[in-house]
Amino acid sequence: MRLTHWVNAIALVVMVGSGLRIFNAYPAFARKGETFPLNPFEGTPVPSWLTFGEWLGGARHWHFAMMWVLVVNGLIYLGFIYLHGEWRDLVPRRGTARDVWAMLRFYLWLEREHPRQGKHNAMQRMAYFSMPWIAAVIVISGIAIWKPVSLGWLTALLGGYVWARFIHFAAMMALLVTAIGHVFMVFTVDPYSLRAMLTGGYDESHSPEARNARPFINLLRRSSPTAPSADLTPSSDTAEL
Amino acid sequence: MSAHWDRREFLRAAGLSTAALALAACNSRGPAEAEKLLSYATRKNALIEQRLVRHTAMNAGSPGAAIAGDGFPSYFISTRVPVWDEAMRGAWRLEVGGMVARPVSLSLADLQGLPRRTQRVDHFCVEGWTAVAEFSGVSLRDVAALVRPDPAANFVDFQSFDDGYHESWDLESAMHPQTMIVYGKDGRDLAPAYGAPARVHSPVKLGYKNTKYLTSIMFLPKPNGGYWSDAGYEWFGGT
Repeated sequence: MRLTHWVNAIALVVMVGSGLRIFNAYPAFARKGETFPLNPFEGTPVPSWLTFGEWLGGARHWHFAMMWVLVVNGLIYLGFIYLHGEWRDLVPRRGTARDVWAMLRFYLWLEREHPRQGKHNAMQRMAYFSMPWIAAVIVISGIAIWKPVSLGWLTALLGGYVWARFIHFAAMMALLVTAIGHVFMVFTVDPYSLRAMLTGGYDESHSPEARNARPFINLLRRSSPTAPSADLTPSSDTAEL
Repeated sequence: MSAHWDRREFLRAAGLSTAALALAACNSRGPAEAEKLLSYATRKNALIEQRLVRHTAMNAGSPGAAIAGDGFPSYFISTRVPVWDEAMRGAWRLEVGGMVARPVSLSLADLQGLPRRTQRVDHFCVEGWTAVAEFSGVSLRDVAALVRPDPAANFVDFQSFDDGYHESWDLESAMHPQTMIVYGKDGRDLAPAYGAPARVHSPVKLGYKNTKYLTSIMFLPKPNGGYWSDAGYEWFGGT
């Protein structure tokens, strides 16, 4: 299970890097002789240090080899959380949307106390739940741009080659932003979870909930639990912190 | 320290050594050790590609899309646009041979005398761009019918006068109804930039497989690589 996480992390970096190198061979979406409305940076390549594979052919080889690792790894992961029932920690429940709002208010200092949570907070739950769906969009749109004639019906379903390529790119960006957000939160909110990700050990007394942790705030374990605040309405002076 | 590692120590060591390896391999080409694995994956992918998807589907040519016209990019490997020099080489002819019952040598007029077809199709470049064009020419099936290939000829090599450029194909893709020997584009004669006097074009192959400045079509028992295929792009290059 934890192994799939790290295989995923490495494979994802390689896939994004090689994908961006492939993108740079034609860093635009428009069909030749047309314009594309949704990309303000048409024709602008991404910086080469973000790319992987050195040249278009090399990047394609990496992309088409690593895709198997990522897909098989993803299926193992999904099978595992299904069989172990861990999907229950990830699938949104009634009230998850409201709890996401509560988490947001807490992170924005509009709420004093960390909302109560189970294994994951509501924002994590939504993020980890949406990632397999975004991944599915990436795989489907990837197949559509890989075989735009042989599987032309699929490409047509996504609005044609140009749109399928854009969907592939946009979904990658969505996944990347989620993954970067995840890494950011690990280091700024819950660095203790790194141990959980590596060895599985986790001390609940270090949890963000126990520490009332926001990004960069309360990274150390609270020595004495604070008295529950009577005033839960946001006040302007806390917002200024 | 005990002689046996517990699970955590093992995982930590494994994690650290993986990270060290990843860092050591951190150039943009990737680790050299991966080359073998990559070429293995590429070969397997080609097999999967040919088994999993049949290349018989027809390309609809993006209805509603604009024809690229002169916005259609033009590539060749010579330093200048290759132009057939009649004074030097005599009249251009297209040799069709190899493992066939009746090899032929066709002049441009011969080619134009065969049933003319016009199709509006997509062109897919390995770089990621796509363009729509209206190509006129002869179905390669009709040319094959002239020469009657041997049943063992499962591959076709398309040679050019562009500095030795050629690409060989699998027979199924070559005999796809939309694979053509093209001598006209967008209602005009094929321009030198686009492969005059005649070129291969098919929506079922990536652009680099579509040999321009065509000189010969050889039916072969084995694949014969190709210019970009030998340079490291996938040989199959199917869409």
